[in-house]
Amino acid sequence: MKAHRLGALIVKESRELIRDPVTVALAVIMPLIMLFLFGYAVNLDVEQVAVGIYDLDNTPASRELSARFDSSRYFQLEQKTTDLHDLESALQSSTISMGVVIPAGFARQLLRGDEAPVQVIVDGGYPVLGRLASAYAEAVITNFPAPRQSAIRVQARVWFNPSLRSVNFVIPGLFAVILMAFPPLLTALAIVREKETGTIEQIYASPVTSTEFVVGKLVPYGLVAFLEILMVMVVGFAWFQVPIAGSPTLLLMSAFVYVLTTVGIGLLVSSLVRTQLAAMLITLIVTLMPSFLFSGFLFPLFTMPLALQLYSWLFPAGYFMEISRGIVLKSAGLEAVLPNLMMLIVYTAMVFVFAAWRMKQKVA
Amino acid sequence: MSSPEPIVAKGLGRQFGDNVVIEPLDVSVDRGQRVGIVGADGAGKTTLLQMLAGILDPTVGECRVLGFDTRQGAKQIAARIGYMSQGFTLYDRLSVKENLSFAARIRDVPDELYRERSERLLSMSGLGRFTDRPAAKLSGGMRKKLSLCTNLVHEPELLILDEPGLGVDPLSRRHLWAMLDRFRAQGLTMVVATSYMDEAELCDRILLLEQGRVLADGSLKELLRPAAGRVFTVNTGDTGRGLRELSGILAQIESVHSVQWLPDHLRLVMNADIAENQLADLLPEGAHLAAAEPRLEDLFVLRTEKVTGEQQFPELTRQDRGKEEGLVVTGLSVRFGHFKAVDRVSFEAPSGELLALLGPNGAGKTTLIRALCGLVAIDEGSARVAGVSSGGGSTALRRQIGYMSQRFSLYLELTPWENLRFFANAYGLAGGAARAAIDWAREVTGLTDIPDKLTGDLSSALRQRLALACSLLHRPRVLFLDEPTSGVDPIARYRFWRVIRELAASGMTVLVTTHYLEEAAYCDRLALMLDGRLLAHGSRSSLNHSLGLDADATVETLFTAAIEQAGTANSRALGP
Repeated sequence: MKAHRLGALIVKESRELIRDPVTVALAVIMPLIMLFLFGYAVNLDVEQVAVGIYDLDNTPASRELSARFDSSRYFQLEQKTTDLHDLESALQSSTISMGVVIPAGFARQLLRGDEAPVQVIVDGGYPVLGRLASAYAEAVITNFPAPRQSAIRVQARVWFNPSLRSVNFVIPGLFAVILMAFPPLLTALAIVREKETGTIEQIYASPVTSTEFVVGKLVPYGLVAFLEILMVMVVGFAWFQVPIAGSPTLLLMSAFVYVLTTVGIGLLVSSLVRTQLAAMLITLIVTLMPSFLFSGFLFPLFTMPLALQLYSWLFPAGYFMEISRGIVLKSAGLEAVLPNLMMLIVYTAMVFVFAAWRMKQKVA
Repeated sequence: MSSPEPIVAKGLGRQFGDNVVIEPLDVSVDRGQRVGIVGADGAGKTTLLQMLAGILDPTVGECRVLGFDTRQGAKQIAARIGYMSQGFTLYDRLSVKENLSFAARIRDVPDELYRERSERLLSMSGLGRFTDRPAAKLSGGMRKKLSLCTNLVHEPELLILDEPGLGVDPLSRRHLWAMLDRFRAQGLTMVVATSYMDEAELCDRILLLEQGRVLADGSLKELLRPAAGRVFTVNTGDTGRGLRELSGILAQIESVHSVQWLPDHLRLVMNADIAENQLADLLPEGAHLAAAEPRLEDLFVLRTEKVTGEQQFPELTRQDRGKEEGLVVTGLSVRFGHFKAVDRVSFEAPSGELLALLGPNGAGKTTLIRALCGLVAIDEGSARVAGVSSGGGSTALRRQIGYMSQRFSLYLELTPWENLRFFANAYGLAGGAARAAIDWAREVTGLTDIPDKLTGDLSSALRQRLALACSLLHRPRVLFLDEPTSGVDPIARYRFWRVIRELAASGMTVLVTTHYLEEAAYCDRLALMLDGRLLAHGSRSSLNHSLGLDADATVETLFTAAIEQAGTANSRALGP
């Protein structure tokens, strides 16, 4: 590796990058769009479930129960009906996700101290919502008319995300996903573009070595990717008000390693294929898709079959996902994140060696 | 260190899969020699050059360049040679200066040497005024000159150039060669692939390649020796039909190997030495015979069987000329954003005329044709094709025109038959009418037996004829051919022009674009385009006359003179 050749490559690559306003704009805007889209859209909190109440009792007590549902932040009273068919069709058309049937004689039975059955019909089409909604409904009904005393009292404390805001969990995960989505794409086009235009033949026919060429691409694109992650992190923490429990420095340092991984994957794809279209498709398939499915971003890995768990190790997004969530939510220190960080470092090294080796110095 | 020979190749060959692109060959190049690699598209020129440059490993044999093996010593070779590939060798977003300094630094040129050399190269190439301009905004000629500079900045011992004249206007090409001459004087060894005759003439030695084999190796004079004294022209003062009949008569003569039908004369290649007066005796009354200069193409012709081309050519029904008007183009402009691809072009071509539209890549030829076919909106001016307005691309227009595009717009996954049937149906021909049209088009184009393969597996020559047949099915009055001969070997080109000539003689107006300027000789009139403008239009002899050139000046010379006369061409290309 010669410094002046590497320098010339880096300067050339940076100039090309800066003078391509569309690419720069995409590099800046797309991650932010994704951050906002997913920051708002991926909401795992179940709130404001639409409820329909079929009140056959129609007494002050039954109306009070309806009011309890309405006043809960988990529910929203959408419909009060005296016709069972209305309730059925509302469930079918998804205007409500839950129906509550208060039978006639509800108030009487309560007064007598008898068991007063209330039926809750939950739309199980979306199982997570269904399960949560029925649990919330049970809580509302059990505490009616007054909280009951029980021999055992559970005192639950939620650690690491005491407010149970899912955004606190989604945003640090998004860092891993976004960084796996855009930098590889940008980088994958970098070498292939030279192959398509033919300028690469000039590189082949010059003393530039493949390592110099790959590193010359890595530095500017890695820098862009690092600026990307900085921006996404600042906006993510500030806008969505996600508290960061651990060390921001450790997070940034890990992000730096992860940036090298993602850019390296882009370079590897770029060194393997011949056309920009193929580079884009392959990059999307090996980076974006697995980083959603197999990183634990939305679906916990431990619930997957063993084969898929092993498969998920192939994709580095999961390693950074754990680091990022660990630092942001659990205040994890270097010791706690080290195993994952080491995985990233080894992974990156392998990707680079492979890319430089695959980056042939010949036309065919 | 004794200076090793620039190139010594032994049994050097390359194949891609089963396709043998270069058959094992031995070649060595002496220091200071300028070697031209000449051959048709697909002959293997680029593959050979890539192997010599060490960026493509041979499948068999070995090659030593400047003493280093091309397999193991590619990087040592790279540091000592310049290799200018055919495609883009510049970074569009970098300026002239940035491109040059990048090239210098990756080739290990120290800064002080770079400063001195870059100044010299930039002033020599005339790029000194444009050092800050992005490469994307340079004309084709300037790009090539800059590419050349980037390959000379490290003062290589060997320069390998792949078709340096491609896509460059004749004047810039002349400048490019002037630069090469100066470096040659300093002893630089050069290997140049070219398809231009005049470039080949500037080489000390020519390797004639055909389908990966070296057909001949020697100076141009030596190469042409087999054809010397065997090439003649015949004219009768008549054009058109008279020449057609005469060519039929000549083809009967046994010693005649081929007959080329050109606008106002025939060109004969004999298969045996024959004295001029002996041949003259064989000619009918009134035919005037003259000896002609042989060309490289004639060598290809001599190597094949008798190609008189008259094989039962069907009599084309002569279309009534009276009612038609061929092509009338008035002040036509096409803009793409701020870029004027075609700039106020006016010309006429009566029916039955074979008109060549000439110009380097990017001159606007294809855009002009597409505008005439109604495929591109006309921004200014008008065009009438066979009496129908070109604007909007109406059905009436489409019935009058045939269009064969640069890349032969055939469906490669269909068989030739399926292609023919599809295009017949697309033109509204069905059943018996379609069969008749297909039979006719096959006969005209000489597609007598069609192999039962997918079109994609056919040779480019067969594909070319098939594409022509497809564009003729509805018997258009005006035929547009956009680079119909690119990628096709000389013999196939030769036959192709014969068909075109016959079509024109039948009353069809034919507009052909080509960047092989020599091919313009086949055409009745020439239209020279540069930077979207029509520089000149007329028959070759009248253009030569009006530009004050010899009557038999080459099209190349003619084009150069036209650019110089237009005067603005260069300043336009260089200006803001």
